[in-house]
Amino acid sequence: MNSETPFSIAEDWFQKQGWTPFPFQKKTWQAYLDGKNGLLNAPTGSGKTYALWFPIVLDYIRENPNYKKKHPKGLKAVWITPLRALSQEIRQSAERIIEDLDLPLTVGIRTGDTSTKERNAQRKSMPNLLITTPESMQLLLASKGYHKTFRDCRAIVVDEWHELLGTKRGVQMELALSRLKSLSPHMRIWGISATIGNLEQARQVLLGPESAAYRNSVMIRASLNKKIRVISIIPEEIETFPWRGHLGLRLLDRVIPIIQNSKTTLIFTNTRSQCEIWYQKILERYPELAGEMAMHHGSINKDTRIWVEEAIRNEELKAVVCTSSLDLGVDFAPVETVIQIGGPKGVARFMQRAGRSGHRPEKESVIYFLPTHAIELVEASALEQAVAKNAVEDRIPYLSSFDVLVQYLTTLAVSEGFYPSEIFGEVKSTFCFQGITEDQWRWLLNFIVMGSQSLQSYDEYKKVEVEADGRLVVNNRGVAMRHRFQIGTIVGDAHLTVRYQKGGYIGSIEEYFISKLTPGDVFTFAGRNLEFIRIKEMQALVRNSSKKTNKVPSWMGGRLTLSAQMSQLLREELYSANLPTAKQSDAIQCLAPIFRRQEEESLVPGPDTLLIETFKTRDGFHHIFYPFEGRFVHEAMGSLLGFRVSLLSPITFSLAFNDYGFELLSDQEIDIQAIIDNDLFTTSYLLEDLQKSLNSTEMARRKFRDIAVISGMVFTGYPEKGVKMKHLQSSSQLLFEVFKDYEPDNLLYLQAYRETFEHQLEEGRLRMALERISRQEIVWKACNKPTPFSFPIITDRLREKMSSEKLADRIKKMTALLMK
Amino acid sequence: MTTQTLIIAGQHLELHPSGAVFWKEESALLISDLHLGKITHFRKFGSPVPQKAIDQNFEVLEQNLNYFMPEKVCFLGDLFHSSMNSEWHRFESWVKKSQVEFILVAGNHDIISPLKYEALGIDLVPELTWGPFLLTHYPEERQGYFNLSGHIHPAVRLRGHGRQSLRLPCFFKNKHQLILPAFGTFTGSHILEKCEGDEVYAIAEASVIKI
Repeated sequence: MNSETPFSIAEDWFQKQGWTPFPFQKKTWQAYLDGKNGLLNAPTGSGKTYALWFPIVLDYIRENPNYKKKHPKGLKAVWITPLRALSQEIRQSAERIIEDLDLPLTVGIRTGDTSTKERNAQRKSMPNLLITTPESMQLLLASKGYHKTFRDCRAIVVDEWHELLGTKRGVQMELALSRLKSLSPHMRIWGISATIGNLEQARQVLLGPESAAYRNSVMIRASLNKKIRVISIIPEEIETFPWRGHLGLRLLDRVIPIIQNSKTTLIFTNTRSQCEIWYQKILERYPELAGEMAMHHGSINKDTRIWVEEAIRNEELKAVVCTSSLDLGVDFAPVETVIQIGGPKGVARFMQRAGRSGHRPEKESVIYFLPTHAIELVEASALEQAVAKNAVEDRIPYLSSFDVLVQYLTTLAVSEGFYPSEIFGEVKSTFCFQGITEDQWRWLLNFIVMGSQSLQSYDEYKKVEVEADGRLVVNNRGVAMRHRFQIGTIVGDAHLTVRYQKGGYIGSIEEYFISKLTPGDVFTFAGRNLEFIRIKEMQALVRNSSKKTNKVPSWMGGRLTLSAQMSQLLREELYSANLPTAKQSDAIQCLAPIFRRQEEESLVPGPDTLLIETFKTRDGFHHIFYPFEGRFVHEAMGSLLGFRVSLLSPITFSLAFNDYGFELLSDQEIDIQAIIDNDLFTTSYLLEDLQKSLNSTEMARRKFRDIAVISGMVFTGYPEKGVKMKHLQSSSQLLFEVFKDYEPDNLLYLQAYRETFEHQLEEGRLRMALERISRQEIVWKACNKPTPFSFPIITDRLREKMSSEKLADRIKKMTALLMK
Repeated sequence: MTTQTLIIAGQHLELHPSGAVFWKEESALLISDLHLGKITHFRKFGSPVPQKAIDQNFEVLEQNLNYFMPEKVCFLGDLFHSSMNSEWHRFESWVKKSQVEFILVAGNHDIISPLKYEALGIDLVPELTWGPFLLTHYPEERQGYFNLSGHIHPAVRLRGHGRQSLRLPCFFKNKHQLILPAFGTFTGSHILEKCEGDEVYAIAEASVIKI
C-alpha cells in the first residue's frame, strides 16, 4: 500500500472541518508513517493532538485493511498526559476522528479518577487507544500480565514532555519506556513538548541516549511564531503601593474592566491559597459576577474541575481564577485574555499561560501581568523583554534518582517478577541511569531484598524475595498492596480529605494546614467558608459557615525560582534605574519614588556594584546581600557565606532569600569588613565549603522526605480509604536521623545531598555568580532602618538555620530570654 | 555528662540525658517508651530502617545499668512497640543476664501476652503506687500522689533572637507530675507548651539542662 492513501484520508478530514493542515502536522504524519520516533515541538492550542492521533489511526488502517470485518482487539496506542484534567480533551479529539472515519477503534481513560469498576473492565479488555498519566502507567506495570497488555501496542505518545522532563515523574516515564521498548520492539515513541531551552536533550532523555530508538528519530518544530503581547498593569500611585506581599489585591479593581471587556478571562495565580483569596475577594467586591466566575486548582474535586472546564468551553464563564492546573493542554477557544498575578518565575511558563488565550494559531495572545509588590514591577518589564527574545529556560533532567529506581524495581517484582540481568541493561540505557555502576545496582538489589547490605541473624525484613531461578518477586500481598498505593505519591505532601460531616467530598488539603486549626476555626477552601469540626481517619470534617475569615490553606508547592536568563534580564532592568528616564521602561519610570527612597536610605546598585545593607530591628541584626541571581543561587550563596562566617567565630543564623538577594539574620552583629577582608566570596574551596554548609542546614533533610516516600521507606497510609496504618507511620525526619547515625553510606540518604547540590543549589550558576561578584565593587551601607529593597526579604518567614555555637550556649541564651 | 537531681516528697530523682530517671532511695531506674521491636516491625513491613539502631537501644540500657547499678528497673509503658517479633528474643536474653528485678506498667503499645512477661519474671501491672509516687503510662492526677508517667514523648521548643529556634526532648514537670521523655531510638517527640508553674528539663546532647 502506498502512503498516499492514508494521507488523503487525513487531508479530506481537515478539509471537511474547513481547516488546512499545518506543515508541522504533515511532517509529523509522514515521519510517523515512515516508522520514525520523534519529538514534536509545538505549543498548546496549535493542533498538536491531531498531529499524532492521525498517523496512529492511519497506521491502523494501513495495517488492518479489513478492519470492518476483522478488528483486532487490545491496546494499540497509549497517550500519556501529566495532568488528569487534559485526558477528556484528548479523548474527544481521538473520538472525533474515529467517528468521522467510522472506525471500530475504542478509546478509554485510565487515571487516578477512573472508577474501580471501569478499571476492572479495562483489565478484561483494554481499549485500543488508552489515555493515561505517568503514575497510572506505572500501576499498569504493577499488574499481572502486563506483558500481554503491551505486546501489540504500536505507539506511545508522551504529551507535555517538558512538564515531566525536570521531575521524577519524568524518570518514571524513562523507566517505563525502557521496559516497553523490550516488550514491543515495533513501538513508536513520540514526545510533544512546548519550547524549552534544551529541546535536543529532551529528545535524548525521552528516547534514551545512544539508543536505536534515538538514532531512528526526528525533531519536528511547529515554529508558529505566535504573537504574544504583554501588558503590565502599573499601579497609579506607587507611593502607596506595598513594598512586600504576594497577593496583589491592591490592583483588584484594575482586573474587573479587563474581565468585562473579554469573552472569557483566565486569571493565573501562583499558589492555591492565592487562588482561593482572589476568587473570594473578586466576588466580595463584585457580587454581580457570581455564577459567571469559577475557580480551578488541583485540590478541588474532580467533578467541579470538569464542570469548570466544560463551562469554559460553552462560554458560560466570564472569568476563572486558577493555578498551574490550567497551564497545559486543553484548548479553550473562548478564552480571549489571560492575567498573570505575581511573578510567574519562568519565561516558558509565562508564555505557555499567555498561549491559553487567542487559541487559533494566527491570533495574537494577550497576557496582563499584575505585580503584587513594588519591586515585582521590575520583573514586569524584564518579562516583556524575555518574551520578545523568546528567552525560555532549560528543564534539567534528573540523574541517578535511586528512589525512583527502587520504586520501579519493586513495581516489576509486584507484577511478574524480574531477572536482574535482563533489567539492568534496560535501566542503564535510560538517560537518568546512564552512569549506574554494577556496584550500585547490586546495592539496590540487596536493599530491596534484604533491607541492608548483608544478611543478619534474626532479621525479619520482608519486601522482595529471590526465587530459585533468580527471579525477584514480591509474594506478600500486603507488601504488594502498600506498594501500589505508594506509586501515586511521587509528588506532594501528606494530604487530608475535606468532607462535610453529613457527607460530600470537597477536596484535599495539606495536613500541615489542618494541624494548625482548632475545632470551631473557620477557613476558606474551594470558594466556601468552612468551619472545622474535627479530624476523623485522615479526613477533616467541616460544615458551612457564614463567619468571615482570613485563614486560607497554604500549599508548600508555591515557591519557584527564576531562571538564569530571567535573572539576567531582571538585573539589567534594575540597573536601568540609574539611566535617564527616556531609556527606561514604563514600569521602572513608575518606580521612581521607590528608587529615590532606596537611594536616600542606601543605594540603587549598578552593574559594577554588590550592595550589602545592615541594620537592626527587634528581630536582631539583619545583613542583606543583593546579587540579583534568583532564589536558588541565593540559597546556595547564603548557606556558603553563612558557613564561612560561622568559621570566624561561633554564631547562629537564620537565612532568608528571594529572587533579589538573601539575608543572614543573627542575634550578633557580623563584621562586614571581615567578610570583605577575608575574601569570603571566593570560588576557592567552593565545593567543599558548600558540602559542609549543607550538613548544617535543613535542605538535604527536606529533600530526603520525597526520597523516603518514593522509595517506599515511609508509608503514608491509605488516605482515600481512610486507613491510617498508624503503627507503620513514621516521619521521614526520624528516618533521616537514623540513617545519619547508623547508615551514612546508604545510597538513598546520600541522594538527598546530591539532589540538593544538583537541583537546588545549582553549583554551576553559583560559581558564575561568585565570579561576577569578584569583578564588582562591594558597597556596604549601614542603614538605620529597613530599606525598600530589603522589605520583601526580611519579612519572609520560611528560613534556613545554621549554627556554629555550642548547643548548651544557645540554650543558655534562649533561657535567659525566657527569664526576662 | 550532666544530670539533674529533683527532690520530690523527700525523694531524690536523678534525671539522666538518656531519658531515664534514677530513684535513689529505692535504687530504682525508671524508663519510659522504649518501643523495642519497632524497627523490626517496620522492617517486617518492608521499611528498611537500619538494624544498627536496635543495638543502640540495648547499649544505652546497659550503660544506664552500669552507671546507676539499680536493684529494680521499672518501665513506664510502651516497652514493646508491636506484636511479637525477633527483637523480643534479644530482649529475653538481655533480661535473663541482667541481675535486677523488672516491673512493667503496661502502656497502649504493650500487647504482647502477659504470659510472656511472667515467663521472664517481669512483673506486669496496670499501674503502681510506690511510696509517694503513682507510676502510670498515661499522665494522670490523683489526690495524695505525685505521678510519674510517659506516653507523650515530650519535647520543648526554645526561641531566641534573630528568629532562632530549637526543639529538644525533655522531662516535663508540674506540681503533680513528671512526664519522662521517650527512651528508645526511632521514637519521635511531641512539643508541649510550658505554662506558669511548669518546669522543663531539656536534653541537650549529654546534658540535662533546666530551662
